[in-house]
Amino acid sequence: MPPAIRTDDLVKEYGDVRALNGLSLSVPEGSFFGLLGPNGAGKTTFINTLVGLARKTSGTAEVFGHDVEDDYREARDAIGLAPQEYNVDRFFPIREVLMHKAGYHGVSDEEAAERAAEALETVGLGGKAETRFDWLSGGMKRRFMLARAMVTDPDLLILDEPTAGVDVELRHDLWEVIRGLNDDGTTILLTTHYIEEAERLCDEVAIIDSGQKVTVATPDDLTERGTDEVTLTLDAAPAATPTIDDDRVDRVTVDGSTLTLRASSGSEVVPVAVRQLEAAGHRVLDVDVARTSLEDVFVDITRTGGDATDGSSGDHEDSETQEVAP
Amino acid sequence: MNLSTGLKALTRREILRFVRRPYNTFLPPLITNVLYFSVFGVILGARISDIGGVPYIQFILPGLAVLGAVSNAFENASFSIFHGRWNEYIHEALTSPMAYWEMVVAYVVSSALRGVLIGILIAVIGALFTPVRTLAHPFYAVAFLGVITTLFAAFGVIGGLVAEDFDHLTVLNQFILRPLVFFGGVFYSLDALDGLARTASYLNPMVYMVNGVRYGIIGVSDIEPDTALVVLSALTVVVLAIDVWLFQRGYGLTD
Repeated sequence: MPPAIRTDDLVKEYGDVRALNGLSLSVPEGSFFGLLGPNGAGKTTFINTLVGLARKTSGTAEVFGHDVEDDYREARDAIGLAPQEYNVDRFFPIREVLMHKAGYHGVSDEEAAERAAEALETVGLGGKAETRFDWLSGGMKRRFMLARAMVTDPDLLILDEPTAGVDVELRHDLWEVIRGLNDDGTTILLTTHYIEEAERLCDEVAIIDSGQKVTVATPDDLTERGTDEVTLTLDAAPAATPTIDDDRVDRVTVDGSTLTLRASSGSEVVPVAVRQLEAAGHRVLDVDVARTSLEDVFVDITRTGGDATDGSSGDHEDSETQEVAP
Repeated sequence: MNLSTGLKALTRREILRFVRRPYNTFLPPLITNVLYFSVFGVILGARISDIGGVPYIQFILPGLAVLGAVSNAFENASFSIFHGRWNEYIHEALTSPMAYWEMVVAYVVSSALRGVLIGILIAVIGALFTPVRTLAHPFYAVAFLGVITTLFAAFGVIGGLVAEDFDHLTVLNQFILRPLVFFGGVFYSLDALDGLARTASYLNPMVYMVNGVRYGIIGVSDIEPDTALVVLSALTVVVLAIDVWLFQRGYGLTD
């Protein structure tokens, strides 16, 4: 079974600007895949290349094994897209916009009407069916974008910043809908600036920067690569900074009776540190581990160029042993 | 996936867009042509002698129908595509599995239909001012009207793809299309011209369109209708092929 998305050495140039610079990526069928990267990293260009809104300069891009240019009809039929920018037909009520979109994908009138009603109900816009897009509130507009992407019953749902600018409650509502679709087998490709969103939803995350893949990993793996902060409270202030003999420990600082370690895999370092401290005559009263967040890792990776450990080409390959700690 | 369903859906969307806005689609040509027939036909026409054996008001009727038909066919296609590009909702169709030729056919058929409807509307208005009640050559009337509205709808597709601003649409319509129509024999016969002006008129494709429809409606023409119909049909096929090629290349549509 081919992956939902497979790109190999994908390049897209706009004049002198290389928006995608040899991007190779594979998104497994049925996965919830996050695409993270700073502004201008190439996320939207990548998506546009898949759906036919941008023509690749070189390389290959396939959706469920269908080349996005040679077999564009099959590839596009599999995709539902909720773009970041609103690009909705303002001439018609939203129910009809959904019917038209379903029709373009070969859905009969009768079924299109049913699907439109169902999609609007799913996103909580059932009562707004005869309203035009312009008259919806900001949150409703976001919900509608999701409904439009869903109405063609796609195998691959591409969501480009689907919760940008919406309040927390609505964000959670949208998450619930998207997660439900993924549970039913739809592959999700999500780009987001909300790291929490990627952490909560995604099975796997790719970080891209300057049109290149920096890394691909599960959110847990990525956070493991970050540096945790372990705070140990001692019964008395040590005379000198104690030494913790463990490769995972990056730095030790003392402030009175509080000892702070910066270490990867902080939870695993704790018993080692406690044992060594007690062996040195200290008594540990309290321990607290502040786990690094995916956001911290993301910031570190995109700032330092990251580690291209998964075969991406280009500059990033040079930094194979990426230093995620400050 | 049903191939024809997408084509049908986009065509219907395009038709509904103009049908649901009658004040924008039908009222302006109705009022404008009542004024044309009143001023040029009734008031001035009474002072102008017959042309080709028919009263002046009858002579201008087919030309005015052509003017309205081709203008609307062109404007509909160019505006719809440009507006869709401007607001990016054309992406709804572009990201669908529809074939490029299906998209072109949907835009052209709907725009040509609008042109035909406006042409018929103008002819009906004209019939209220003149004794014309039957078509002299129904086949030619229908064939020419169908071909020229399709041709200008196909030109409109190119206009909609090429335009970068609303200003460009105005330029295409007001400064290129309209002069061609007015110098295309809508208000006069080529017999009124001589020398270079007459020769130059034969280079204006609008002359063949106006005279073709005129032949179909009132049986009077400055040109040979069969040849004109074949040439215009061939030109239409060529322009449609260019439309499909531009869509395939993503000209004006994709990055």
